[in-house]
Amino acid sequence: MIGIVSYGFYVPEFRIKTEDIALQWGKNGKDVALSLGVHEKAVSSLDEDSLTMAFESSSMALSGIPVDRNRIGGVFFGSESPPYAVNPASTILAEFLGIEKQYLATDLQFACKAATGGMMMAGGLIESGRMSHVLVVASDKATAKPHDALEYTASSGSVSLLMGKEDLILEVVDMGSFSSDTPDFWRREGIRYPSHGGRFTGKPSYFHHIIQSSAALFKKNGLTPDAFAHAVFHMPNGKFPKQVGQSLGFKPGQIKTSLIVEQLGNSYTASALMGLVSVLEVAKPGELIFFASYGSGAGSDAFIFRTTQKLSERKHPFKKELKQKKYIDYPTYLRFMNIL
Amino acid sequence: MSTSPVKIWRRQKEIRNLLNRKGKIISWTYIYAPPIDFKKNAPYPVVLVEFKKGERAFGQLVSTQINDIKIGIRVKSVLRKVRDVLSDDVIAYGLKFERI
Amino acid sequence: MISVIGYYTTKFGELWNKALFDLVDEALFGVLKETSIEKKQIDAVFFSNMMSGVLENNLHSPSKIAEILGGHIPVFRVEAACASGGTAFHMAVKYLEAHAGKTVIVIGAEKMTDFSPEEVISALTSASSGEEQEAGITFAGLYAMMAQIYFAKYHYTKKNLSYVSYKNHYHGSLNENAQFRRRITRKEAIASPLIAYPFGVLDCSPISDGASAIILTSDKNLLSKKNKAISVLASEIATDTISLKNRAYMDGIEASSIAAQKAFEGAACTRQDIQVAEVHDCFTIAELFAMEDLGFWKKGTAGKRITSLDTMLGNGGRLIVNTSGGLKAAGHPVGATGIKQIGEIFLQLTNQAGKRQVKGAEKGLTHNVGGSGGSAVVSIFSI
Repeated sequence: MIGIVSYGFYVPEFRIKTEDIALQWGKNGKDVALSLGVHEKAVSSLDEDSLTMAFESSSMALSGIPVDRNRIGGVFFGSESPPYAVNPASTILAEFLGIEKQYLATDLQFACKAATGGMMMAGGLIESGRMSHVLVVASDKATAKPHDALEYTASSGSVSLLMGKEDLILEVVDMGSFSSDTPDFWRREGIRYPSHGGRFTGKPSYFHHIIQSSAALFKKNGLTPDAFAHAVFHMPNGKFPKQVGQSLGFKPGQIKTSLIVEQLGNSYTASALMGLVSVLEVAKPGELIFFASYGSGAGSDAFIFRTTQKLSERKHPFKKELKQKKYIDYPTYLRFMNIL
Repeated sequence: MSTSPVKIWRRQKEIRNLLNRKGKIISWTYIYAPPIDFKKNAPYPVVLVEFKKGERAFGQLVSTQINDIKIGIRVKSVLRKVRDVLSDDVIAYGLKFERI
Repeated sequence: MISVIGYYTTKFGELWNKALFDLVDEALFGVLKETSIEKKQIDAVFFSNMMSGVLENNLHSPSKIAEILGGHIPVFRVEAACASGGTAFHMAVKYLEAHAGKTVIVIGAEKMTDFSPEEVISALTSASSGEEQEAGITFAGLYAMMAQIYFAKYHYTKKNLSYVSYKNHYHGSLNENAQFRRRITRKEAIASPLIAYPFGVLDCSPISDGASAIILTSDKNLLSKKNKAISVLASEIATDTISLKNRAYMDGIEASSIAAQKAFEGAACTRQDIQVAEVHDCFTIAELFAMEDLGFWKKGTAGKRITSLDTMLGNGGRLIVNTSGGLKAAGHPVGATGIKQIGEIFLQLTNQAGKRQVKGAEKGLTHNVGGSGGSAVVSIFSI
């Protein structure tokens, strides 16, 4: 049985309120926050990027775990804001973590589901016996064009998962993926800010792919939503995950704990995984957790997880961590995002 | 001025062992007149830290107001981008410190 | 016996019309004219400069000086950051100890104002360790850290530093070649805009252009013809780690202390014998360190003792420090400073210091430091 041995996360301490962004553009902050379901978002500092944040989340994932770092057979780095257009961040990360050198390093991109695709591939390598452990990392310092709707939600964060087949805190009961060519959100080579298809990002994109991947997994395993203690979906804003959960038949109470987007914004590849981190803080042993990511372009990776007894030994305080925050103003935000 | 990727590579091997270590501040200052490669980040505090095992390291202190910096404060070393490089240079990652 | 028989300095400051080797030209011919010595009497030139390579891709100075002077004599470039001048002087002294009957010019020069302050600050950091550079610390920052440790240990504040600035600006106002001729108040010094906490602008020596030259000889015949001459009693150098963090202590400069001890022993004189001294005040704290390291004041007392302004002209003190205005007010064209210091002592001991004259000065000392204390040169002179 493959699964997750340990996890780590990093949320930068700075926040900017939806209202403070809205103020710049002459909009009513309260209305915007309400319509998006996002009140504030996490912002990483000028000297941080997806690599430095990955180092933090990976350090947490590996700290105190009885796995020799040299047994980690793969390091997969998923991001849509990697430090280089050409040059792996996975090797830089592995080097700083002290993972030596007989390992496979791979950088992945697929909008917000780069890392979850990595999880599926890691699962295959572990299941086949080729590797005992793979470190899968999601990290983004997501930028949006000033004055664009995405400006309120694009945020920073990182989650790292050490996957293996023994000593698990989460077992992967099953996993599946649904993909199609759907251009809802993209960024061309050399262009600074992403573009998107407005409302096209909704029904034919986010909703269609998550519903398809999820439904397929329910059917294959003969499960219905009420079998799950928690459900986690990718969170581009505070509304979509609630709506897709409802469409699939989940109750609001099952999704509630995962909705970190309201306070943290959308950290792209780390978004759904951060929701999972939030859930793991409160999850009990022997519970089923449903998880579906979404990446524009488009695809959705769905997982059925089962928690183990071991989870209680390895869970990390999350809610308390989020209380360590400092608010910044708009010019500082632009400076931190290298826009100014 | 372009930075040699080889120098960055050598340097990164050295700092690997200094990351995620705890120590305390033995002296500090706040830089208002920076060198070229640090203009973007200025003004910024720089500290000299002594780790538990006795080694010492210089580095910037992140996210701390000048009034909150004192000799004796405990810190942890973290990975950050340390220096502005040209847009087609290799990125310089290095050591900074964070209050704990 | 080795003697200094002549001195010429350009003005220090923002000398827009002169490039580096224009300054060198002026000082070389200036000192020759000043001493009525001809080019052909010069056997070698020692040239002190720190940043011409880093800032303007301008090296191979021996050949460039040969082009200026004409002829084919040996020319040696010497670099030890801000101690380049003192070190060049030291090497000239050793050269003359090895060659009797020779005469050399020791000239220091620096051109800094062609570049932006950030470029200069960056170039100066070449005198610090790689790690210090990577932390973005600057020299003001390094000395500021040293000051913080000193303050914490001996309970001083930046108010104590303001006396150094005040004194040296007063001296500078009396020096027609100084970059800054304006007197300042201690209040201005304390309130000046921050450069590296706790230092303000008025705690820091400026960015300057300038060149200074002396003529040094071991030629007895030549010496007998010159009525203005001082002898070199001692010249000693000590080095220390480049990294501030690796020093034995950081609230002082041990290299200065070691060099001073050797110099006083070699000169067979005591601290009390010195009436006039040029010490390395690259930052105000550095003058406090100098007074302690050189053994004039007890360790930890400089912050207090400077407040009496005993070392300022006109207060009847036994030892007057930095009559040139120091690095602070006279300016700090890095390569030239060490030579200017020697030149100032030359003027003092030969009674040519005009309004800055320390009456009856018979023995003088120069103190030149490189970087944050990685090298130090102490020389003692006598009339």
